[in-house]
Amino acid sequence: MTTTTKNNELNTPPAGAAEMPSPKEACIFLSDYASWLLGCGATCIRIEKNVRRMAGRWNMEPEMTILPSHIHITVWNRDRSHSYSNNVRLHHTGISFDINTRLSKLSWAVADGKTSFAEARREFEEIVRVRPANPWMVWLLASLANMSFCRLFGGDFAAMLIVLCGTLAGYKLKQVMLEDGRDVRFTFFCCAFFSSVIGAAGYVFHWGDTPEIALATSVLYLIPGIPYINSVSDLLDGHYICSFSRFMNAAVLTACLSAGLCGGLLLMNIQWL
Amino acid sequence: MTYLFNILQDGFFAAIAAIGFASISNPPRQAYKYCALIAAIGHATRYVLTHNAWGGMNLIGASFIASLAIGLLTVFFAPRAKCPAETFSFPALLPMIPGMYAYRTVEALLLCLTHQEEAAFNHYFYLLAYNGLTCMFIVLSMVVGATVPIFLFKNTSFKATR
Repeated sequence: MTTTTKNNELNTPPAGAAEMPSPKEACIFLSDYASWLLGCGATCIRIEKNVRRMAGRWNMEPEMTILPSHIHITVWNRDRSHSYSNNVRLHHTGISFDINTRLSKLSWAVADGKTSFAEARREFEEIVRVRPANPWMVWLLASLANMSFCRLFGGDFAAMLIVLCGTLAGYKLKQVMLEDGRDVRFTFFCCAFFSSVIGAAGYVFHWGDTPEIALATSVLYLIPGIPYINSVSDLLDGHYICSFSRFMNAAVLTACLSAGLCGGLLLMNIQWL
Repeated sequence: MTYLFNILQDGFFAAIAAIGFASISNPPRQAYKYCALIAAIGHATRYVLTHNAWGGMNLIGASFIASLAIGLLTVFFAPRAKCPAETFSFPALLPMIPGMYAYRTVEALLLCLTHQEEAAFNHYFYLLAYNGLTCMFIVLSMVVGATVPIFLFKNTSFKATR
């Protein structure tokens, strides 16, 4: 009888226990989740809140350290009798607010009890397989955006056309180089160089009345805005290491695009005065 | 009438710029229209503040107020679009980037390096410092202005995707 009871206890876990992961399972899942969230451009405060929200649902307490390229998570069970730690590198997925949004929704679905641990793991695998937007559409929209940018700075029709051509060429080059796995800093340098050479057409051929605006705007599509914004967000939240790291990454890319712009200006021998 | 046309034109091009730059960061589909709307309102706000009959406001102050408006709108629209507030703030802010100041900073740097005479060097160094500092403070005021509302209304911002 005793044996049967024991077997029954082993075979039929208490209600809800099947949905509750062990600290090891939870830790591995949460560290993967956090590394994807960090990689897709989420702020530190969002990563912390999302992870804490899900762990709370599973009756666990997470402690985490977010470093520029790693995440260290320790998950404790509620009575602090058992813990598991994991250290993972961030996934270089590129900025994706779509993944960020889906992962945040997943955290709420788990916290509200709408998704079990097994379902959450399955959904997570689906989310990280989401393909980025059509590159041709992004190429065209980014070029039109930079052209509009030129207009906002007071550029005339000729300047807008020059900027459109410069961005079409530069952004395509960026996509090709990044797909080929080239260094991102070298890519930014080359794209800024090519775009500024094309952007100098107004000066070279005397097209339009605002050649300086065309030249100035031609490289602005490369500005790494999200790292700058995230850097300030992390600063306000007290994540100084991440904030500094994000700022430096963005500053290095800005320096590379400035160097490319300088190279273009020197090559085209632009005379300002 | 021309003034109104200029404001609408400013908002229109800011909206196109926002949609294009939003596409680079792979936002969810439903986010595009909000990015366009917030960018148009933000940029038009700055236009009105810097071009008005009572004397144009300083660009740094105007950028801060406009980005504060952008930040508040992102917090307001995030729960409706079920997207994190940050999804809208970057594309909406980008049309306000002081590109001409940044360009003039690089230009002044090159001129500094190519002129050895003290008077000319000092003049270009002054331009470098003036444009560089102005650009830096505009960007800083923009980023702080758009981020502060997200932190002030944490409950709304971080429950947007619920």
